[in-house]
Amino acid sequence: MSLTFKDKLKSKDFLITSEISPPKGTDLKEVIEDAEHIRELVDALNVTDNQRAVMRMSPLAVSRTLLDAGHEVIMQLTCRDRNRLALQSDLLGAYAMGIRNICVMTGDHTTKGDHPKTKPVYDLDSVQLLSIIKKIKKGYDLAGNRIDNPPDFLVGAVSNIDQSKSAQMMKLRKKAKTGIDFIQTQAVYDIGKFEVFMESISDIEVPVIAGVIPLKSAKMARFMNRNIPGINVPDDIIDTMENTEKPLDEGMSVCAQTITELKKLCRGTHMMPIGKHNNIPKILEMADIRKKDQC
Amino acid sequence: MIISSAKPFEEVIELLKDKDDIFVVGCNACAAKLHVGGEPEVLEMCKRLEDEGKNIVGWVIPSAACSVASFDSLVEKNTAINDAKTILVMACGSGVSIISGIVDVPVYPSNNTESLGGRSQGEVIPELCAMCGDCKIYYFGGICPKGQCPKRLLNGPCGGAVEGKCEVDPEKDCAWELIFNKMEKKGRLDLLEKVWTVEELSE
Repeated sequence: MSLTFKDKLKSKDFLITSEISPPKGTDLKEVIEDAEHIRELVDALNVTDNQRAVMRMSPLAVSRTLLDAGHEVIMQLTCRDRNRLALQSDLLGAYAMGIRNICVMTGDHTTKGDHPKTKPVYDLDSVQLLSIIKKIKKGYDLAGNRIDNPPDFLVGAVSNIDQSKSAQMMKLRKKAKTGIDFIQTQAVYDIGKFEVFMESISDIEVPVIAGVIPLKSAKMARFMNRNIPGINVPDDIIDTMENTEKPLDEGMSVCAQTITELKKLCRGTHMMPIGKHNNIPKILEMADIRKKDQC
Repeated sequence: MIISSAKPFEEVIELLKDKDDIFVVGCNACAAKLHVGGEPEVLEMCKRLEDEGKNIVGWVIPSAACSVASFDSLVEKNTAINDAKTILVMACGSGVSIISGIVDVPVYPSNNTESLGGRSQGEVIPELCAMCGDCKIYYFGGICPKGQCPKRLLNGPCGGAVEGKCEVDPEKDCAWELIFNKMEKKGRLDLLEKVWTVEELSE
């Protein structure tokens, strides 16, 4: 029997996760194709939950589809769209559908998405939701009622990687206190900064899976620096992207170099390819990571 | 202070399209301080409605529209209200509700009610309090995250702020940036380290 993500988290392997966005529509063909590009190269696929507050298919439905296709998934769950009843209800549903890994986050505000007038929920914050999941795993719902056959989720949380953001670091410690199993981070470009971040949480014994996003151009790097919270592409990387004739190749090379460095610092990498899942095998090859044989 | 703002005049005119013999009720509390229901604004409203061909039977400005005791107390201030077939209230939603409860003619609002805020040093500050019924503001240095943070986060910031500005409104400082800086200055970061569980909050 192949190892689960949970088993692998306990091993010494450098783990690879990637991200799959549910479709805007009812056709799951692209989701299945994206996942197929990276079959056996990644240890689990994060299924996003109305990412950037843009309405898409339910992550529960997409997660189940990917499970049926033989992939391991990490279902993301935000606090933006569901109150405490709906969150607990979806957690039970997810477990019954075979989902074993979840990753919890507050969620981008509705004003950032494609339905900006949506009433945001935020009945719970991510720390509170993580505490409730801990309780559910012990067999009780938030109100203290017994739950039959409680779910045994592997639970993840997210974090930015700027150690100087003291309030965010404080919140990460609160998340860690709830007994999470892994942390997935925002995209890393500045390895020096990431090293400082890792040192600052060296007392937290939770495996960290560092995010990466392959750059497509210098313009994309500048855009992310301006608009995506927690992303900081250093000038030297932007210069490299500016001066190359093949920005896509250079972006993949930069990404592979980052992953090579990450191998020394943390437990894995979370690849957010932004619609380019077919590039992941090449990046992993450049980073000298072979996963296929052992999976 | 209840923060309200004036509806566009076109919307007020549309509301009063088939109405006439209008009596205007202002409010000498929050709406007056915000210049959307005090005497100058009430007089201006009466004039503009008359310019639109409406008959204004009179006006009154109670000390607070939300605390008017009875219809008679309005009559005492201006008997012309007896001739009103329509009432326009230039106050917050509470004021409109109270007036609606004590009169028999249709009541229309001229304002939109937005939040519980305040005014300091000439600046109107909205959303200072979320009116949650479970005040914990002391733990956050007098800056309520339920009122000031669009995600109402009690356990720390969301990670969506860019250079200290709120994810939702880049013109606004992130509430958690303000809270953290204030508590750091006070030497009370220990208060922020508390984990707020759902079980201990009354909401």
